[in-house]
Amino acid sequence: MKSRCAVTYVAIAALLSACGVFRGDDQGSTGGAAAQAPGVTSEPCPSAVDSKKGCIYLGTISDLTSGPFAALAVPITDAQKAFWARVNKAGGIGGKYEVDVTKYVKDNKYNPEVHRQVYNEIKEHVLGLAQTLGSPTTAAILGDLKANDIVAAPASWTSAWEFEDVIIETGSNYCVEAMNSVDYAVDTYKVKTVMAVHLAGDYGADAAAGAKFAAARDGLTFTNVETPSGATEQGRAITEITKNKPDLVILTTGPADAATIIGQAAAGGYKGRFIGTGPTWNPALLKSPAAPALKALYEQSAPGKPWDADTPGHKAMRAALPGVTPNDGYTSGWAWAYPMKAALDAMVAGGNVSRKGLLEAVKTLKSVDYEGMLPAEAGNYADQTAVFRQTLINKVDEKAPTGVTTVKDFFTGPTAKAHTFDGPCFAKL
Amino acid sequence: MKGLLETLIRGLGNGSVYALLALGFVIIYKATRVISFAQPALMLAGGVAVSHLTGVTGFYPAVLLSALLIAGVALAIERVAIRPMVGRPVFVVAIITLGIDVVVRVVVNAFIGRDVRQVGDPWGFMQVSIGPLVVQTRWLAMMAATAVLVGLLFAFFRHTRYGLAMRAAAFDQETALAQGVSVGAVFALSWGLAGFLAAIAGMFVGTGQGIEQMTWVVALKALPAIIVGGLDSLGGAVAGGLVVGVVESLFQSYQGEYAPWLGQNFAVVSPYVVMLVVLLVRPYGLFGTREVERV
Repeated sequence: MKSRCAVTYVAIAALLSACGVFRGDDQGSTGGAAAQAPGVTSEPCPSAVDSKKGCIYLGTISDLTSGPFAALAVPITDAQKAFWARVNKAGGIGGKYEVDVTKYVKDNKYNPEVHRQVYNEIKEHVLGLAQTLGSPTTAAILGDLKANDIVAAPASWTSAWEFEDVIIETGSNYCVEAMNSVDYAVDTYKVKTVMAVHLAGDYGADAAAGAKFAAARDGLTFTNVETPSGATEQGRAITEITKNKPDLVILTTGPADAATIIGQAAAGGYKGRFIGTGPTWNPALLKSPAAPALKALYEQSAPGKPWDADTPGHKAMRAALPGVTPNDGYTSGWAWAYPMKAALDAMVAGGNVSRKGLLEAVKTLKSVDYEGMLPAEAGNYADQTAVFRQTLINKVDEKAPTGVTTVKDFFTGPTAKAHTFDGPCFAKL
Repeated sequence: MKGLLETLIRGLGNGSVYALLALGFVIIYKATRVISFAQPALMLAGGVAVSHLTGVTGFYPAVLLSALLIAGVALAIERVAIRPMVGRPVFVVAIITLGIDVVVRVVVNAFIGRDVRQVGDPWGFMQVSIGPLVVQTRWLAMMAATAVLVGLLFAFFRHTRYGLAMRAAAFDQETALAQGVSVGAVFALSWGLAGFLAAIAGMFVGTGQGIEQMTWVVALKALPAIIVGGLDSLGGAVAGGLVVGVVESLFQSYQGEYAPWLGQNFAVVSPYVVMLVVLLVRPYGLFGTREVERV
């Protein structure tokens, strides 16, 4: 009986704690500066380098445990913690504030409903979001972000972000990536037919639309195959590839799906080319049975240079993350943080330290110093029509830390150069 | 015709794996009247255990050790979380198994890490010719392994004391108890067997494509399989698994050509459509026991 009572008490305590009736971290207070903007305190950050500086709190909503992108999201989040620790060590923002991205970190499980729920939990305590991972998840809070002028750095590359003031995207979107990939394949492999094999939604469909635009411009035959997520679900996609034998397949799936498709299509006699968007690659695929096919047939398109690139930004990232297993989740996470830093710098310099001030600062940014990781014009948020259109092509290289090396540096293909962006690409597939 | 036969072999291969998973569900259901939603986690754990052990012991010993390990984990779960709930409504116990599934998956995810893990199987995407047909070796391995395991399982139920005890307890727990059958041991054994089978299924799911954190979703295909076959029929579980595999494979290969109006990925929902049709015609499944309700 006693043990049952104990279990009951523990269960009630856990329930109340989960409901936020009592908690030890006192999330209701951000430092007693009532007159200041949400997420800004005159008191130092919890792990301040300089206790004389105030603190700007930024939230992180990422796929940290059980969602499909956890493998990428954890390095992204770790890289951003390291990025802001470096900023704080170097004097913070305008010599007045340090930035905390460790107190309000929430797991969205890649579920839009959970994303909105945890966003509501933290939104009164943060100035902006250092990371909001996923396209459908971020779409779930977009209305509220806009209504409250909350600036957010996305961890996704959908073309929808090109049309949102509050979203400070970094690198080309999937649509541009696929356009450039098709143009590259036309130049390099003289392809005549292209098939987009993609997941549903604004990841896969965005790239497929880009491939469709490029195919139309280049006079290629285009077919579109939507495939579900999951390596065991790829039977149909494999059948379509081996039956139709397109010269080029633009892949927009997860890495395990990509390996299954490429490995089995090659085993089924397919000899064309695959170009997969950034998230189709994972260095562990080199140990999979698909490795020979990947080496022979696959290239990866990417919005940025891989982990071992020789730029000051990459070097700083590697120095800030000693001992980690190289993963381009770190690279993306680190690069995504630069625009927020530039916007915070501009906001503090402008004197209006508030959400509105931050959004105004974003609208003044014509370039961002990515320390060479990306061209500075990738950070043009002042001109809404200025869509960044450069991507790279990587090839599989067992000797490289993340299994890929760049074969074609930042370039803009003729399709992307000529394309007018007047709405999200995925809506036009 | 060649394409159709190859499609059928692929379906039977994948269906064999669904059959192993479905057997686990049915064995636990027959013993305890509870549908255990912890099977996906046990399947994932089995595949991950093989991926870790294969480098140390080699592939085949790793499979055996992992299956025994997961059977042990399942036994422990039954003893710690399920046994104290005996006599409680089965709905409550089923919800507890949902919780167990989440907990085990979170632990197993830590052993998966960020990358896709390979189980180190000898088949990969290797193909073999059978007359004019070219099929993947792993599908044949799946079918052969399932045939052997199902044979052993049925022999166990028919010819051993414990098998008889399990059948007796499944038929009538109180009477079995009165005849000296340890119903507790039957519960434990059912969980152990389900864990063993789930681990083997997990290994097969990982062949060729590897194991990642979302791989557990595959185990949900056993749900339409057990409904199609009948919740309390072991033979039905095997038949249901094979039906699900074959239907899915046929839709993957031919739906785009013959029924494009169904949309691009009807294969994903096809097992559930079959399940609905079976439920309409035979609500207790193809081989399940017809329930008699006296008013």
